[in-house]
Amino acid sequence: MIRMENVTKVYKGEVLALQNASCEVQRGEFVFLVGPSGSGKSTFMRLLNKEEKPDRGRVFVAGRDIGKLPSWKVPFLRRNIGCVFQDFKLLPNKTVVQNVAFALEVIGSPRSVIKTKVPAILELVGLSKKMHNYPDELSGGEQQRVSIARAFVNRPLILLADEPTGNLDPNTSLGIMTLLDRINRTGTTVVMATHDRSIVDKMRRRVVELDRGQIVRDQSRGVYE
Amino acid sequence: MSLKLDYVLRETASNFRRNITLTLATVITVTISLTLLGAALLFGDAVDNATVRWKDGVEFIVFVDPEISPELEEDIRRQLVDSPEISDFTYIDKDEAYAEVQDLLGDSPELVEVITPERLPASFRVKPTDTLPERVDELAAAFRAQPGVARVVTASETIRAIEDLSSGLRQRVIIIAIVLLVAATVLILNTIRMALFSRRRDIEVMKLVGATNWFIRVPFMFEGLIQGLIGGVIAIPLIWLTNNFFSVINEDVTLELLRGFTVDPSRVWTLGFQMVGLGAVVGTVGSGIAVSRFLDT
Repeated sequence: MIRMENVTKVYKGEVLALQNASCEVQRGEFVFLVGPSGSGKSTFMRLLNKEEKPDRGRVFVAGRDIGKLPSWKVPFLRRNIGCVFQDFKLLPNKTVVQNVAFALEVIGSPRSVIKTKVPAILELVGLSKKMHNYPDELSGGEQQRVSIARAFVNRPLILLADEPTGNLDPNTSLGIMTLLDRINRTGTTVVMATHDRSIVDKMRRRVVELDRGQIVRDQSRGVYE
Repeated sequence: MSLKLDYVLRETASNFRRNITLTLATVITVTISLTLLGAALLFGDAVDNATVRWKDGVEFIVFVDPEISPELEEDIRRQLVDSPEISDFTYIDKDEAYAEVQDLLGDSPELVEVITPERLPASFRVKPTDTLPERVDELAAAFRAQPGVARVVTASETIRAIEDLSSGLRQRVIIIAIVLLVAATVLILNTIRMALFSRRRDIEVMKLVGATNWFIRVPFMFEGLIQGLIGGVIAIPLIWLTNNFFSVINEDVTLELLRGFTVDPSRVWTLGFQMVGLGAVVGTVGSGIAVSRFLDT
């Protein structure tokens, strides 16, 4: 599903974010990306939805070399990749249901599809009762569920989660992990960057460790360290 | 990828509300520049209409009696040919006079209908060697006394002055209008840039979930287009006011020479719609530059 071949990424000619990194992720896998801040985890993710371009090497998503993708096709690549962030990136002036519907609306989904898909996904993440609340009326965990609902409502092939539990307490984090695990079980490939040792150790999934831009460990059913 | 009209309208409306002061400033600038440009063009048309008979050094016109006998007309012609004080003249027969009237009033068929070639006098447009007003007046007076001559009309200094003044004035107003149009374009560019900035979160999310560039751009470009259109639409009544001002001039100036200092209403409308079109162009160009420069993909 995802393949990186000898990818190097340097920011502004001096900051080395990824160095000759190669990695392959199969369809339906759940992968933790671990490593200290600045080790290249976010760059790894940003290369996958073409927010960044590699300086060297190639990136394949769903068998396609995305370096060869013309820029007008990038939006269609991104429709297959859901994104979840530490800071949720919800729109504060829209309600929960509007936030999720927005994601479908802007890719041109018909209203009838939006009407059926949005309540269904909110049911899945357990927020049916707070559909009409605004983000600032929700707890951090609830906001992250909305953000996951928005990322997953379009049923993407891949879900990228960049420290999704970074702002949450351990209990809430576990709830989010259960949700991501359920999404993974539907066949969606999940790549999650994290600093959360206890979660990685508890889940026992594949762990890819980055250090100063290099992949220093790739272990199935791994632990944080 | 389908861009829904209601989505675009909703987005544009909310952007308008968000940015009301800047939008207002932009619309006013567009209106003023288009009004000035429209008025300058209209003024030029009016001057052209009023002075069409006075081109190329024609200083006075001898209108002959519509029922003049060929002999008398020949007399006048011979006199024009023989006079050393006349360098050149052009004979305008009834049909040519009619064609000119048709040109002038072409947009008002009801006026053209009541005029027939028979009712129009033939005329000689005369270029004297000496264009000093006093000499021209003397010459004109001589022809006025001639049998068979209905009227002699001279190009007074006023007409000349108006012609000279108008071309200078027109040029200046057009330059000012163009500078203002550029300012309007930059203002629209800036308004859209502000709109892009105030909606950067939405835009970030839109890109993230895979909205196409056009889907993101179109509402903003539409906003610029609407601002230009509104400015142009407001300019139409203002251009009309300018036209009314012309008729005031017509009534005020007792000189019959200024007859014709007017513009056909349909011409005013055409000009108005051209200004609306220009407003739309300004809006689209301004917002187009804004989205292509400030909406990195």
